[in-house]
Amino acid sequence: MSTPYRLWEILQRSNTGPYYDEDDFLPKIFTPKLQDVIKKYEITYDPKTPVPTDDDLADRVWQAGWELFREVGLYNTDTHRIIQISDDEIKEALYMTTGAYWVGAGKDAVLWKHRQVEDREPPFCIFSPDITCDENLHHSVCLAYLKEPLLDGFCAPILEDSIGQKISSGSPTEINGCTQHIYNLRLAAKQVGRPGVFFVAVGTAEHDTGQIAVSDNEWGVRTTDSRLVGTLTEFKTANTLLNRVTHYAQYGCYTGNLTGPIYGGWCMGSEGVAVTLVAYSLSGLCIHGAIYNQHFPFHLHWGSNTTRELLWPISVAGQAMARNSKLLHTSNGFANAGPMTEMVLYETACHALVSTVSGWHLWEMASARNKYRNRATPMEARIGMEVGHAVAGQGMTREQANELALRLLSKYEDKAADAPMGKEYPECYDVATALPTPEHFDMYRRVKDELAEIGIEFPY
Amino acid sequence: MSFKALCQAVESGNTSEAEDITRKLLDEGKEPLEMIAALTETMNKLGELFARLEIFLPQLILSGEALKAVVDILRPKIMETGEQEAPKGKVVIGVVKGDLHEIGKNIVKLMLETNGFEVKDLGYDVDSLTFIKEAEAMGADIIGASSLMTTTMPGQKEIIELLKDKGIRDRYKVVIGGAPTGKEWADQIGADLWCEEASSAPRMMAELLGK
Repeated sequence: MSTPYRLWEILQRSNTGPYYDEDDFLPKIFTPKLQDVIKKYEITYDPKTPVPTDDDLADRVWQAGWELFREVGLYNTDTHRIIQISDDEIKEALYMTTGAYWVGAGKDAVLWKHRQVEDREPPFCIFSPDITCDENLHHSVCLAYLKEPLLDGFCAPILEDSIGQKISSGSPTEINGCTQHIYNLRLAAKQVGRPGVFFVAVGTAEHDTGQIAVSDNEWGVRTTDSRLVGTLTEFKTANTLLNRVTHYAQYGCYTGNLTGPIYGGWCMGSEGVAVTLVAYSLSGLCIHGAIYNQHFPFHLHWGSNTTRELLWPISVAGQAMARNSKLLHTSNGFANAGPMTEMVLYETACHALVSTVSGWHLWEMASARNKYRNRATPMEARIGMEVGHAVAGQGMTREQANELALRLLSKYEDKAADAPMGKEYPECYDVATALPTPEHFDMYRRVKDELAEIGIEFPY
Repeated sequence: MSFKALCQAVESGNTSEAEDITRKLLDEGKEPLEMIAALTETMNKLGELFARLEIFLPQLILSGEALKAVVDILRPKIMETGEQEAPKGKVVIGVVKGDLHEIGKNIVKLMLETNGFEVKDLGYDVDSLTFIKEAEAMGADIIGASSLMTTTMPGQKEIIELLKDKGIRDRYKVVIGGAPTGKEWADQIGADLWCEEASSAPRMMAELLGK
């Protein structure tokens, strides 16, 4: 935690902060304040430029996000009070952020560093299918992802069943599922020769008890790993989430702040999503003690973020945070299309391209809107990470990225609403060897060659 | 004062202006049911704009609140004439136990309310038995249960199992929804209807009730 010395003073504000009726918090505090700062800082979405190049715009988005967080705070739905943070506390927390952390263990430890806009350092690559998967496939899926060369960290798929029983949040089945989840993960990591690789775990835990049950440096989630604390959209928390904040700080693992501002929801359009992303990053730092922010803004109806109305806020918010802080932030892609479709590969490439040049680290890829069981594979994540490394390595500018993004968008944007759902993991991978089928690999190879032809200089 | 002005006030979410215009229209002798019909058309139009995200949730909510305020003024007048239509259905709606995500449920609730349903909102993290007790208290036709997490979906199944165990499964239609749910899950647990998205929920639920 970057600000552990403030843990109890800040959490206590759940009980001492100003009271507000929950029904009124979003319509009367959050959205009006967001509208005010969008107007005050003259933030305007331009659909023709998914990757803006205006530094001043990025800085205004930073200021607007800061003001939004300071004025709105974080609402605790259990106590009906607002946790408020002052300017001085935000400044102090930002100053105390080191901008670099060693994560993972032993030979597999990796230095995760802050990136700048158009940075030539590659993004930190967290592979994640962001889906649920069958119990009998879980270990194979873990193996498949952990075989990926560019993987710096891994967040495994979520189990719905354990020992044949449906996992129910907050019940003993969830603790059992979480145990199975981390054992599968540890076994797979050892088998591929990456025993100390950085995990973000365990996604199977929806309730705090499931997370706390698997904190163990021998067999479970280690202090060299990370756990996420979510926020309820928008700007609400609950004691079950703050319990995680407390446990992770005291256990000593790396806390990540998980947020998904909704385009079309309470944060309205692209401008609101951009400002809210910045505000969430400050909330994660100051209230959750997060060392990084894991953001997945998404479209209210589609559940995706690869179309331009989402790429613009991703780009401008990434630039805002890169230019004005030492924060670490991962851009979590949500594709419309499913595995083994060309569309999901274009979508992932575009999301990774825009994010990387805008200063983000990468978290790829929730395929088929992360809605369907078993519908994700490492291949779509692989192409995203390869694009990220290429873009950074060749020193791509925002102007160049904008031009390429427009070309990629033209390949899929009109299909977003009715995207193909693709295939399930066992149709794309050999489950026993955890390797892609020739058909799946060929499709990836074709799209990669096409991306190379339009100007993405892959290192291999 | 015109119906157009009333509809514009509701569309812009200006509750106090909508209330003022409503009172003036009543003073001028305009028919309450005609006002309701015009406003229903306005809300349908807003629903279509929202489906394309040409307007966003806050505007839809504000318009819904303005509409409710207008209906509160009109209701006594309609009751005096004895022309009040019965609601299309009575619904208790909530997010299942262990799940704190309610934006989807709130949108469905708004769509139902603005389309002639009577709705009781139970909020989020609602115990399965509470759904049933509240449905009994309201005399509901439908129990609507939302879930956003795979590990809270069993809460939807639990409601149906409890209804069966209490011997009152036939008394209520159970409608489920939420991002990770689907037709297959609805069929598996014996739900009466799966709603994929909010805008079609009023039509589907009315059809479910044979209306």
